[in-house]
Amino acid sequence: MKELSEVLQDWEAVIGLEIHTELTALDTKMFCNCKLSHDDEPNANVCPVCLGLPGALPVPNKKAIESIVKAGLATNCEIQKHSMFYRKHYFYPDMAKNFQTTQGPVAFAMYGHLDLDVTGQGAAERPDCAFGAAEAESLASASANAEGLSTFMTSQMREGNQRAGHLASYDASNMQMPERRADGCYTVPIRILRIHMEEDAAKMVHVGGAEGRITAAAESLVDYNRCGTPLIELVTEPDLRTPEEARLFMEKLRRIFVTLGISDCSMEKGSMRCDGNVSLRRRGETKLGTKTELKNLNSFKSLHDGLAYEICRQAEVLEEGGIIYQETRHWEPSRKRTVVMRVKETADDYRLFPDPDLAPFDLNDAFIENCREQIPELPDAKRARFEADFGIKAADAEQIAGDPAYADFFEKAAAGTSGKEAQTVANLLVNELVGYLKSAGTALDESGIAPVQVAALAKLLASDAISSNQAHEVFELMAQTGDDPNKIVDERGMRQVSDTGALQPIVDEVLANCADQAQQYRDGNQKVLGFLVGQCMKASRGKGNPKLFNELLRASLS
Amino acid sequence: MALNIDSLTASQIASGIAAGDFTATEVAHASLDAIEARDGAVKAFLQVSPELALDAAAHIDAARAAGEALPPLAGVPLAIKDNMNLVGTRTTCASRMLENYESVYTATCVERMLQAGCLPMGKANMDEFAFGSSTESSAFHRTNNPWDTERVPGGSSGGSAAAVAAGEVALSLGSDTGGSIRQPASLCGVVGLKPTYGAVSRYGVVAFGSSLDQVGPFGRTVEDVALAMNALVGAGHDPYDCTSQDCPVDFLEHLEDSIEGKRVGIIPSFMEAEGLTLEVKQAVERAAHELEAQGAKLVEVDLPHLDAAIAAYYVIGPAEAFSNLARFDGIRYGYQEEGCANLTDQSSLSRAHGFGAEAKRRQMLGAYLLSSGVYDKYYYAAQKARTLITQDYNRAYEQVDTILMPASPRTAFKFGEISDPTQMYLSDLYTISINICGNGGISVPLGLGGDTHLPVSAQLVGPAFKDRQLLTFARALERGIAGGMSVAPDFAGKGGEL
Repeated sequence: MKELSEVLQDWEAVIGLEIHTELTALDTKMFCNCKLSHDDEPNANVCPVCLGLPGALPVPNKKAIESIVKAGLATNCEIQKHSMFYRKHYFYPDMAKNFQTTQGPVAFAMYGHLDLDVTGQGAAERPDCAFGAAEAESLASASANAEGLSTFMTSQMREGNQRAGHLASYDASNMQMPERRADGCYTVPIRILRIHMEEDAAKMVHVGGAEGRITAAAESLVDYNRCGTPLIELVTEPDLRTPEEARLFMEKLRRIFVTLGISDCSMEKGSMRCDGNVSLRRRGETKLGTKTELKNLNSFKSLHDGLAYEICRQAEVLEEGGIIYQETRHWEPSRKRTVVMRVKETADDYRLFPDPDLAPFDLNDAFIENCREQIPELPDAKRARFEADFGIKAADAEQIAGDPAYADFFEKAAAGTSGKEAQTVANLLVNELVGYLKSAGTALDESGIAPVQVAALAKLLASDAISSNQAHEVFELMAQTGDDPNKIVDERGMRQVSDTGALQPIVDEVLANCADQAQQYRDGNQKVLGFLVGQCMKASRGKGNPKLFNELLRASLS
Repeated sequence: MALNIDSLTASQIASGIAAGDFTATEVAHASLDAIEARDGAVKAFLQVSPELALDAAAHIDAARAAGEALPPLAGVPLAIKDNMNLVGTRTTCASRMLENYESVYTATCVERMLQAGCLPMGKANMDEFAFGSSTESSAFHRTNNPWDTERVPGGSSGGSAAAVAAGEVALSLGSDTGGSIRQPASLCGVVGLKPTYGAVSRYGVVAFGSSLDQVGPFGRTVEDVALAMNALVGAGHDPYDCTSQDCPVDFLEHLEDSIEGKRVGIIPSFMEAEGLTLEVKQAVERAAHELEAQGAKLVEVDLPHLDAAIAAYYVIGPAEAFSNLARFDGIRYGYQEEGCANLTDQSSLSRAHGFGAEAKRRQMLGAYLLSSGVYDKYYYAAQKARTLITQDYNRAYEQVDTILMPASPRTAFKFGEISDPTQMYLSDLYTISINICGNGGISVPLGLGGDTHLPVSAQLVGPAFKDRQLLTFARALERGIAGGMSVAPDFAGKGGEL
């Protein structure tokens, strides 16, 4: 198979995502008062409603509706005041009613977008030919492809889609096309068709078969604790063009949802899941190719690698004159390939119709405004503020602003600082704190590390009172003991000496002891300076300021 | 001379217990005796629940002994349609599919009747999953009309109507999706009210057509039905049914009011409809004259879209039924086919053998009507018709306070007499449009028909959430014509001595 970079020169990958997020922050299920927890004993959190027992009726969870409205507002969607729940019928043992309660043509949130900043090495995935005017044509011909929504294709759905055409902000011709900047990065708008509300199914556990899959399992057990979990499904337009863009979109969305506090968004635990739809067409072609749907993309790496593999696979099939079948494929991360799960020969008929047990919604302005007021500062705004107010690097600002816990920690630790000291706080967070928490296997709020400790450490480091090597040591001690960094530094005599008067005698002594190396430097061997600095550090028992030693050595040898 | 339970109304039973004339336990035994003596011939019950009834009675007697105030329906024997959950009973919906299904929770409507003091005597027979107008589609046995046991009691709440008509119980609960309370009430000569959609909680009532189903009471007098309504709606909105509404009214309050000056609508085309028998037509005309004699004004009203009601009903009803019955797949509970090789076979065969013919017919019809390409043509059109019919009624209610019409086009028919399902569907000609628009309707007995000498009735229908006014009109008819209908003569006084 060809490499992705080569494939994307000739072929355009058209990618759309369907992202399911469980509203794990809620206390109760979507349509009943059962506790929302998957960790309890199987089938502990069930009632007649989520078990679909005869006669049971659903009552919608108001907090879940608030969550989806917040998600919609945070992704620049139009909140639809009038929407309904629908019943989507299919038979499976994990669905007690044999229909899923979901939304129909009109979702709570529709026609949004996120501007995606594509930075770093991944920005190179999009070839130079896919910018500017060429991209405008591509978007226009690929958009409004509602294939992924064929389940909703009633006359009402078509009316709903036509409505999209009336929205100027949602019209491909009015969108700002990506242009590559000098550093290779670019920004591209990704449209969001809809975010709708639905209920999750129960969890099946297949016992006795290989790999826990249903094939050859001796028994299939069903745990209804998950049944009825409020789920929001976000569907993008097919506006993504590279696996990296898909990965970044997912990351960005995750940061927003985590900041909103609506979900823990754990891809590992499955509370945030992503399916990718991808098709290829020759560059310049306006007709869309046949798409495949990828499942099991349950990490950011899988999302990227699965799509990359599938793009290359489709290119190979097409270049050999083969046909792409519309099918669902399973990404196998261990074998780095996708395999067929099922072929869709005909569209499934879900017999969608409005749920007669749930009255149509009529959200009022006060409800929507209340949701809007609950939205905290979002990652993009926070990043911009961190850059402006604290003067820290863009990449660090993005990383810190994307996690509410880190952002809050940073704001406290960096309060009243800017420039070098603020950047030092950021460095400690991104390098020391993240690493420490990972190796300690603990969460920030459980670690016991206080912002004031990191602030004190940053002050020591920024004022050259300690070296960065020492800072690492102090951080570890501070995290373990909970002591103030100043106390640690003082008790261990770690404070760095930056007094030239105290350091010059050490330099003189080292030069006297290492006359050969001193001569080599004078003869033009610059590399030997590092050795001499090391000797000075050793002689000062690590407390001398290495930068000053460097300067003093140069001066003495010149 | 000994007092028979069937000679007492619900309010007389409750006040008799409160006064100490007899105990709730004695009432429970009397009702059980009446069921024992009469139900072999009527077969209104699928299950009798003596333990539950006697237990409830003991609680009431204990409360009285302790000097506590008794609830308004204390000690009143109640029959419950078998699509309503009650812990301690099976809820079968008269289907093999749920033959052994034991309720794990109690329906709100049942709970509220029990809170009001009723004694749960047992579960009443019905058409399977409420699909039918004769109770003949019950998977277990037929129910015989107490007025002529060779004839059907109507349906689908046939058991509930027959139990009251035979004097086995004073009150019963039914559900009405297209006429399933009003039509059997008419055929059995008892009062049957379908309240406005949303007045009574549907939580715990096995759904047929969720947007059409409504629970309501049967009684032998309008006052008893009013008492039952107070019990059903008194506690207000049910948090377990988001379509239920608060109806904070006392149904007894205006029961004896004069109807002088009120306007009663007549739909001329309804009185000339094909299939309406002369004796029913004459009975309804007599009711009109009676209301006029009491000072009401008769007004002709026109509802141009009424013809579409049956067609719309037979789209919406089966579509919702298909969806609601999809859960009965033989996996978690209910009839399970044994010896199947795989999941698909097990589910398909459980459904094939667990459901009767009419239940399968409706589900297949619904599955077709909701399929892609067909949906727009029928379901969407039916919903539009629904809106038009509702608007027709709303316009009519600008001119009149109630509309008088037949409940059933004819008196009780013989078993097997109507074998063509589409002919059976016409039994609900006069009742269906009320479910389509969600308003209330009541069937009031008007004595016996001149030709068949079987019960005839009239139906009064009214605007949404004006069900109390319907009871006032019904009481006016009861006062003027029927005087409170008696128990079917073949069964009156048999067993059930207090």
